Amino acid sequence: MDTVINVRGLRMSYGERQVLRGIDLDLRRGETVALLGPNGAGKTTTIEILQGLRTRAAGEVRVLGEDPARGGDAWRARLGTVLQDWRDHPRWHVRTLLDHVAAHYPTPWDTGELLKTLGLDGHATARVRDLSGGQRRRLDVALGIVGRPELLFLDEPTTGFDPEARREFHELIESLDTTVLLTTHDLAEAERLADRVAVLLDGRIAVFGTPQEVAAAVQAPSLVRWRDGTEQTDDPSELAWRLHQRYGGPVPELEIRRPSLEESYLNLVERSAA
Amino acid sequence: MTTMTLGIRRGLIEQNAILRDRKELGTNIAGLIMYLMLILWIGRNPAGGGVGMTAFMTVGFVAFTVFSAGIMTLPMLIAADREEGALLRLRMLPRGIPVYITGRAVSLTLHIAVHSALMLAIGGAIGGLTLPSSLYGWATLVWVLVLGALSVIPLGAMIGAMLPTAKAAAAAVGLPSMLLMIASGVMVPMTMMPTPVQWAAQIFPLYWQGHGLRAAFFASPGGELHGTWELGTAATVMGAWAVAGMVLAPWLLRRVTGK
Repeated sequence: MDTVINVRGLRMSYGERQVLRGIDLDLRRGETVALLGPNGAGKTTTIEILQGLRTRAAGEVRVLGEDPARGGDAWRARLGTVLQDWRDHPRWHVRTLLDHVAAHYPTPWDTGELLKTLGLDGHATARVRDLSGGQRRRLDVALGIVGRPELLFLDEPTTGFDPEARREFHELIESLDTTVLLTTHDLAEAERLADRVAVLLDGRIAVFGTPQEVAAAVQAPSLVRWRDGTEQTDDPSELAWRLHQRYGGPVPELEIRRPSLEESYLNLVERSAA
Repeated sequence: MTTMTLGIRRGLIEQNAILRDRKELGTNIAGLIMYLMLILWIGRNPAGGGVGMTAFMTVGFVAFTVFSAGIMTLPMLIAADREEGALLRLRMLPRGIPVYITGRAVSLTLHIAVHSALMLAIGGAIGGLTLPSSLYGWATLVWVLVLGALSVIPLGAMIGAMLPTAKAAAAAVGLPSMLLMIASGVMVPMTMMPTPVQWAAQIFPLYWQGHGLRAAFFASPGGELHGTWELGTAATVMGAWAVAGMVLAPWLLRRVTGK
């Protein structure tokens, strides 16, 4: 299989504090993976190591077939990044900045087309600091993808967005044909964008899989409700089957609610803290 | 596009953006305004050695422009670039860091050139200051400018990389630079300063920058501290600062960033 990120036994510590205690992670070409975890779990450290911005203590790391610690310009040209809270180049004009960043890459997108796609063509000659928050964010995305990255890092990309800007951003990311590694605190966002979800707890990947697989692994209870009762159960199909037998036919007002990613996640975090 | 072309283009865009920026305008022309007010106020007085105060201060302010570009403007720009995320963005671009360094060098050179040209034009119009007439004078002008810039740029880059914000950088270097400006014979000849101040100022590159430039522009060293041109000492002091900065800056930066 074509893997874009391949991590085995990644370890990292700051002084005495172990931040990453042996992480395994694989990203297949074209998929979107969300990296979840409470603050301080090591999400940003992991991404920084994958980008070659930080040197790891131990472990095997391959990003696009290369060790990020030794990645040169040709390797870097295949990556794209959108970080939270960028306020750089406030005095530059939108189009000038995008053209300048694009010129670093061998085969960038047409910057005029890109601005149009992102709905920024009306602001090409605006100064970057005069953009609204949502426009500034779209410019960040444009700057992150202008080099046609094979792999895109998104670090808490929608923090501080209003719901409309968030939806626009999600649609934009879904329209991209690239591998994406995303960190977020917004579990609905992870559920919507990600093919697979990795939960980072105490420097280890606690679970890694589709949102359904995560729920199954966590065994967060499902809620079963019918006319005459309500029950929380790890095995809702079994309960439904018993109910059918009890009623000798259709169960009145039967409703089964599987745990959302958020419930599974919180369940997992609470259990690890206990 | 080659890295060099990209870096030069970056420097041009950056300097153009700063020149057109109203917020930057104040900081940018504060020095020019101070210079203008001073020459209109005391420019008619003699400065010694047959040189008028306007011509003397014009050369002094050119020296200060080079000095402050390295020790004040550069750290503030670098600190702002880090604070706003420009440095991080460039670190993640292919060839981003060499392009950034080239760009900063170009924008700083332009900053020095524009300000010096303006002051020399004003000094020429009002104070009768003329450009060097001999090849020797021009050669002195060039090496003093280059060595003077090199004596402060590594230090400025280091300050900019270590201080967290542009405001902190301005606060840290603002007052010492101003004191040094008063003490180093930019506005008033050093001969008018108390002896301890004279000795202290001669440790720093700013005084020697001004001394070297006066040697390029003026015929007689009559108004100088020791009544003679001391270009060897000027080269030694500025060179020592340049070498110390180039050796210390990478070492200190590695210790501070710790990665």
